[in-house]
Amino acid sequence: MKIQIKTMLILLSAFLSIILLFSGFVYLSVSKYSYEDFYKLLEIRAVTAAKIELDQQGSSQEMVALRNEFFEKLPLEKDRYYRISPGESFKNESEELGLPISFFNEIIKKGGSEYNKNSMFYKGIRYKSKQGEYVVIASAQNYFELHHSAYLRRTLIFAIVAAFLFSALIALYFSRFVFRPLRKITDRVKEISSENLHLRLDNNMNNDELTDLTRTFNNMLDRIETSFETQNNFISNASHELRTPLTAIIGEADVTLSKIRTIDEYIETIKVILDEAETLDRKTKALLFLAQTGFNGKNQKFDKLRIDQLLWDVKETIEKINTDSRIHIDMSLLPENPIKLKVKGNEQLLHLALSNIISNACKYSNNNVVHVSIGASDQNVFVIVKDHGIGIPDKELKYIYDPFFRASNTLKYEGYGIGLPLTRNIIRLHNGEILVSSIVGQGTTVQINLPIGRFD
Amino acid sequence: MEKTVLIPTDFSIASLNIVKNYLNEQPADVKLNIILLHGLHQTDSITSLLFCSKSRMLEELTSKEFNEGCHVLKNKYASQIRSIRKDVFSGFTQAAFNNYAEANRIDEVCIPILYNPRFNSKNSFDLLPYIKASKLPIQTIGSAVDVPMPEKGEVAELFFNRVSVS
Repeated sequence: MKIQIKTMLILLSAFLSIILLFSGFVYLSVSKYSYEDFYKLLEIRAVTAAKIELDQQGSSQEMVALRNEFFEKLPLEKDRYYRISPGESFKNESEELGLPISFFNEIIKKGGSEYNKNSMFYKGIRYKSKQGEYVVIASAQNYFELHHSAYLRRTLIFAIVAAFLFSALIALYFSRFVFRPLRKITDRVKEISSENLHLRLDNNMNNDELTDLTRTFNNMLDRIETSFETQNNFISNASHELRTPLTAIIGEADVTLSKIRTIDEYIETIKVILDEAETLDRKTKALLFLAQTGFNGKNQKFDKLRIDQLLWDVKETIEKINTDSRIHIDMSLLPENPIKLKVKGNEQLLHLALSNIISNACKYSNNNVVHVSIGASDQNVFVIVKDHGIGIPDKELKYIYDPFFRASNTLKYEGYGIGLPLTRNIIRLHNGEILVSSIVGQGTTVQINLPIGRFD
Repeated sequence: MEKTVLIPTDFSIASLNIVKNYLNEQPADVKLNIILLHGLHQTDSITSLLFCSKSRMLEELTSKEFNEGCHVLKNKYASQIRSIRKDVFSGFTQAAFNNYAEANRIDEVCIPILYNPRFNSKNSFDLLPYIKASKLPIQTIGSAVDVPMPEKGEVAELFFNRVSVS
């Protein structure tokens, strides 16, 4: 059974039981009150009747007139008088009226009793008159029992049915309302598969449990996607970066071997080959360093780490891979207090992210100077990478985080469109933010905000 | 030595660049109180006067980036800056402005050469006429060349813009 229906039923049964309890209570208390009221009425009538018939008090004519004027006639009203003589029981009378003998006994013992049968109500009292003691029984049909209570029952049943329908509507609406975001999440999750891991659940900003769930799920996707992309990134980098020196070595060797050369030429060739091999070695080392992110989605260590140090390391690595790069690290807005540069993060991952951004900046500005600045506010550390390269067309700016997307003006640059999505994921994992702004032909600025680590 | 400097602002990152350039030119032993002043007309209906709150007004006017930028500057020049204060001036007369300057003991006003404030609120007004008419010493900074930047409006703008202030 779906939870939605379950919720509806639970709500409905709760509503229903409350309505039933409520109307049952109303019905019972109203009829109890009316019974008591009717018995009181009968008692007054019995006393009045006894006073008129037995005592002949005052002017009985007046009393009768009064009674007729003020007491409305009850249906089947009848008063009976029985003299109490010691040693005699009321067996005959009780049989004649169809009343139990205990009714009479109670009247004699306690001075009054009540009985009802088939909507006929009997009230008996013990009355002491001048002629002796009497049992006076007033009886009448209970009008309420006959008409009002039936009406009350009908009204209550109608009200229960109406309330039931109404509460069913409420329960339906409520269960739908509660589970709508959940259904939305389910629909969205169904869309996400290994081909489009970059999709995320929409995160609305109310701080409820479902937002929590969404955030957790997105976080998991971030980690999975990052580990996917880290490998892709390494492969694309390796194939790209290692090819150039290898081509140079092979070409040099090929040319030299085509005929017999002088010793000087051989020395020259071997020097070139050695040079290129050294480059190859440096690049391999740097790439391996980048690949060793130690990131498998499970045991990522988040440590204290200083962003400025990290930037110098990144600069060194990039210069090893691409010897032509010119990176200028700008410290002009470095905070005086070095604590403000410490973030909580995974060094390898952040290294990878920053080196992606900076090497992109070098690549797309044809190894022009790339400015890298650091600054810190009280909440964030800012790393800003600015190049004067080809820029990103305005319309394509929103697609830059899609895997394998490459802007239309990047055709003559090698690349696979993997770096930026990976970088964004890494920044996301650190609760940071990445902002890219660009003017075509003028350059691109990438701003990375990382929250300052709180180490107490 | 301690100095209070008034800098007119439209609460953009560009206006923080004025602060940065100004700070760059100050000798290290000068302690500064910086007042970022914004001209804002206020309605004089009784309800808005009753429920007027300066902090809320400032919150509405300033962006997250602007505040972050303030903090960046404060962290960079931590030993030089005594305080950075955002304030709103809503007087109509020159005398009101002179009073404000006197009350806040303003020693100097700093405005960029390329002064071209862009106001987000229609109630904002330019303070420059008041500043010019008052007898406060004015220091101008920056250059007259405007360079287009991709990072307009983000904290990044604070980091690179050394040439122009607009």
